[in-house]
Amino acid sequence: MNALNRFGPLFAALLVIVLMSLAMVVARTSPIEGFTALLTGALGGPNQLGETLVATSALLFPALGICLAFRAGLFNIGAEGQLLIGALFAGAAGAQLSIPGPLGIVVLLVLGAIGGGIWGGIAGWMKARFDANEIISTLMLNFVAAAVALALVSGPLKGPLATGAETAWLAPAYWLPILIPHTRLSAGLLLALVIAAILQWVFRATVFGYELTAGGEAPEAARRSGINISRLTWIALTLSGAIAGIGGATIVTGELHRFNTQLSPGYGFTAIAVALVGDLQPLWICVAAFGFGILESGGLAMQASAQVPKDTIHIIEGLIILVLAARRYVATRVEKVQAA
Amino acid sequence: MNDRPALELRGIRKAFPGIVAVDGVDLTLQPGEIHALVGENGAGKSTLAAIAFGELQPDEGSVAANGTVGLVHQHFELVGRLRVWENVLLGREPRRGWRIDAEAARARVLDVAQRNGLEIDPDAIVETLPVGVQQRVELLRELDREPSVLLLDEPTAALAPSEIEAFFATIVRLAQRGTAIMIVTHKLQEVIAYSSTVTVMRHGKITATMPTARTSIDAIAQAMVGGEVPALAAREERPRTPVLRVRDLRCGQDERRIDGISLYVASGEIVGIAGVEGNGQSTLADCISGMTNFDGSVEIEHGDRPKMGVIPQDRHREGLVMGWSIVDNVILGRQEALRRGALLDRDRARVEAALIEERFDVRAANLDVAVRTLSGGNQQKIVVGRALIDQPALILAYNPTRGIDVGAAALVQSRLIEARNGGAAVLLISFELDELLTVADRIVVMYRGRIVGAFDRTHFDRTHFDRTAIGRLMAGSQ
Amino acid sequence: MEFLLALIVLTLIKATPIIYAALGGVISERSGVINIGLEGMMAAGAFTAVLVTYATGQPLLGVLAGVLAGAFAGLILGVAATRFKVDQIVAGMGINLIFAGGAAYGLVLVFNQPGASKQVAALGGNYWVLVLLAFALALLLHWVLMKTPWGLRIRACGENPRAVTAAGVDPLALRTLAVTISGALAGLGGVFLSIGELNLYSDGMTAGRGFIALAAVIFGRWNPLGATAASVVFGLFEALQYVLQGKIPWLPADAMQALPYIAALVALAGVTGKVRAPASDGVPY
Repeated sequence: MNALNRFGPLFAALLVIVLMSLAMVVARTSPIEGFTALLTGALGGPNQLGETLVATSALLFPALGICLAFRAGLFNIGAEGQLLIGALFAGAAGAQLSIPGPLGIVVLLVLGAIGGGIWGGIAGWMKARFDANEIISTLMLNFVAAAVALALVSGPLKGPLATGAETAWLAPAYWLPILIPHTRLSAGLLLALVIAAILQWVFRATVFGYELTAGGEAPEAARRSGINISRLTWIALTLSGAIAGIGGATIVTGELHRFNTQLSPGYGFTAIAVALVGDLQPLWICVAAFGFGILESGGLAMQASAQVPKDTIHIIEGLIILVLAARRYVATRVEKVQAA
Repeated sequence: MNDRPALELRGIRKAFPGIVAVDGVDLTLQPGEIHALVGENGAGKSTLAAIAFGELQPDEGSVAANGTVGLVHQHFELVGRLRVWENVLLGREPRRGWRIDAEAARARVLDVAQRNGLEIDPDAIVETLPVGVQQRVELLRELDREPSVLLLDEPTAALAPSEIEAFFATIVRLAQRGTAIMIVTHKLQEVIAYSSTVTVMRHGKITATMPTARTSIDAIAQAMVGGEVPALAAREERPRTPVLRVRDLRCGQDERRIDGISLYVASGEIVGIAGVEGNGQSTLADCISGMTNFDGSVEIEHGDRPKMGVIPQDRHREGLVMGWSIVDNVILGRQEALRRGALLDRDRARVEAALIEERFDVRAANLDVAVRTLSGGNQQKIVVGRALIDQPALILAYNPTRGIDVGAAALVQSRLIEARNGGAAVLLISFELDELLTVADRIVVMYRGRIVGAFDRTHFDRTHFDRTAIGRLMAGSQ
Repeated sequence: MEFLLALIVLTLIKATPIIYAALGGVISERSGVINIGLEGMMAAGAFTAVLVTYATGQPLLGVLAGVLAGAFAGLILGVAATRFKVDQIVAGMGINLIFAGGAAYGLVLVFNQPGASKQVAALGGNYWVLVLLAFALALLLHWVLMKTPWGLRIRACGENPRAVTAAGVDPLALRTLAVTISGALAGLGGVFLSIGELNLYSDGMTAGRGFIALAAVIFGRWNPLGATAASVVFGLFEALQYVLQGKIPWLPADAMQALPYIAALVALAGVTGKVRAPASDGVPY
């Protein structure tokens, strides 16, 4: 629309650099040292790049799911739980599967979609049927998901040899192919990029995408144009959860090769920032996910070598969200001035 | 009374980005005068009123008020779920210690009401009151501040004719006691009937100020438009076959209730629904357009034409996606017509948008600008154009010219008449009786969810008698 | 009997932080601002209380600091929502990330350990004062909202801020103040979690209570007393989780952790649609 919107992600990147510098100074580290640690940790070699892309992929799935829901006007903040249930479905089935490899992988990914879809769909059904606020319900479902997963993998689904709360390992036939040799980066990243491209196309070219975004932008006008809003609500939240769920399944089949309750360090929450920084445009979200992937994987290195707490990143995410929200206000004002 | 004017505006200029809304205006209000301020939409009269009230700061010029200034808003600024006294005394609550003194508040509201000859129950919940009484609450809130100047912004827009009379009786009494009154309005009959002076604004400037006694409706209208009012399309008669049949429709509650409505609309005719806002018109429109469940039947005989085109009541909320382009808004509600498999035919939508732009004289930089950036008249033209473009058998138009300027309104009305000439059945719901008298072939009157009268063009075209009769029915008297 | 008594006591303890946050939610939403940031405001209060208590050895100063930290977080949301007209929901999520992340950052920076703070001299047995205060504040807030001029203006502001402007009062100032107070209350709820019930701050200790409080606001129909009652119900389910542990053989303890959240979900589905939110709740002015 206008310059401020177009350069939103760049603007956000600049903001990150300024804020991180500030956080480093507070932690009594020179920004140069801190950023060097961060960038070497994230991009310094094939291994580091691999880890960064692993984080990118893990963030990208839930961010795309969140993007779909937000575009439909639904604040899905339950991607964390949807991702976890998707991973649980894949992990539970993967540990007992006995069909040919490639087919097995597809089955596991589909199961991930089903698991995440169910979890998002519950919130969608509650919203469509009872008008229950999806912000609260999706967040509550995160905690329910965590409790359910923990109970299951501590008990009936616990792997025979597992020491902690996790399932048995998947047979290597069900592992996603590795993209960069000697790293953990799996083909899951490619799948995420394909989904991003599909979403972009759906929003831009299809009737479904049109109706979805109309419902999000102007629900009453959409309803009066013959769009069934409650149907759209549960479809959007189900699909949103399904995409996050596939993400969970790719973590299981691509990196961990088992389900573990600790498998997400809050990807589903960081993904909210990723989706917003990416301006709810799937292709920009890919860029944003890479940026946050750098922060995620470089943050650990930064904490280790420059003593800057990794949690700096979460403060920065929050600030970016706030500032971007305010930027929209500035942008509409600019738009009005230009129009008049 | 002293000789000082109650309100004096000198050299007022107010610019918004890209437009000078008020451009060098001088205006003086004397105590006890009823001053009408008229002009087209966008002429600057609301801006001027806001400056006089102190809501807006002028870029240049001075405002001098001798006492306090009160403003009665067009859309009442009331809190529906609160009581009358809570609304009237909001911000000036009488206290006893830390608490509100509810007894004192009631007494004070009753006192103000009595002194102004208004009847009110201070404990009533505002949203349960009829529109006319709600306006009384808004008026009381201003009167409690004992203003020396009272500004009224389109005060009778939502009132029935009888309520209008009662309202002006109060206003005239206030003026007689020395309050200076300024009425911003577009109802020229009220201007003639009740004002002492009339000022006409056009393009931010005052084009005429005259004593009401020495002018006429035609003269004022010409000063407003700056020339002749554009003529409407001529009507052509053609055979009529029934299109819309509504039988014994029942739906909704309270203000939205409709209670056994039957009517029909044939091809090639415009049927107008007359009535004051809040007598069930919205529910009737929702039933016909399939937006709600109801008892009774709605049949639409549409042949090989598309069934229906709808011009909704509230274009911002119900008709447009404000952040989207003209092209994308032309698609809204027509997704099925533009569907190619799973895809949307945006190329065709663009051609149609260009067609609407041309036929309706939409002023926009290009078809990709957000409709939010267009003027109200241009937005409405898009909504109307979209409803007509597929040549539907039935057109349901709800206040299609509300809040747009005279030129745009005439264009919209002409296109509706042309659609009728082309064989469409048009159901026109309007709160403006004048619009219905100009455009409709038949008028039915709605009151409290029922149809209380029907009139044919062959009558009301010639006689003034039907106008009075319709007005009376709208107010609920036989 | 002993079981019942234990359940009641535990219910009150578990309900207290939710009550504070829910009261914060009520005042914010009654003024027309949806406060999704309650969770972050609780975290701000909880962590700051521990930090100041750790530094001064005075838990009372910790309480005060926690309240102020919550109020500060509230002020940010209030200003963002009124002056900058940001999307209240997005801004609230931002607040949550900033203050939950800020607390985690502080843990590493101050205590030099991730996960949890060192133990501090907490309120100890005096935490009962905070439990009682929660109920007292509920009554007070109800009285303020329903009987005082300021309360009337807040309610009007949540219904139709333009009417407040027409009455000559600034609705934006009212909203900013209401959200700040909301933050202070949520902060106090956080204080109770960290130095009332326990004696440390641990990462994620607010555990969605800010959102459960939002459900309590809806369940309690935007009324301070109703929201308090709803908070007690949610507190009961949280307490049941502990009391029933090991008593139901087929239900593992881990699964019981879901109980309060499921209760909130059921309540949410059961009442919304039947109740009416303030007309301008969540609508920028």
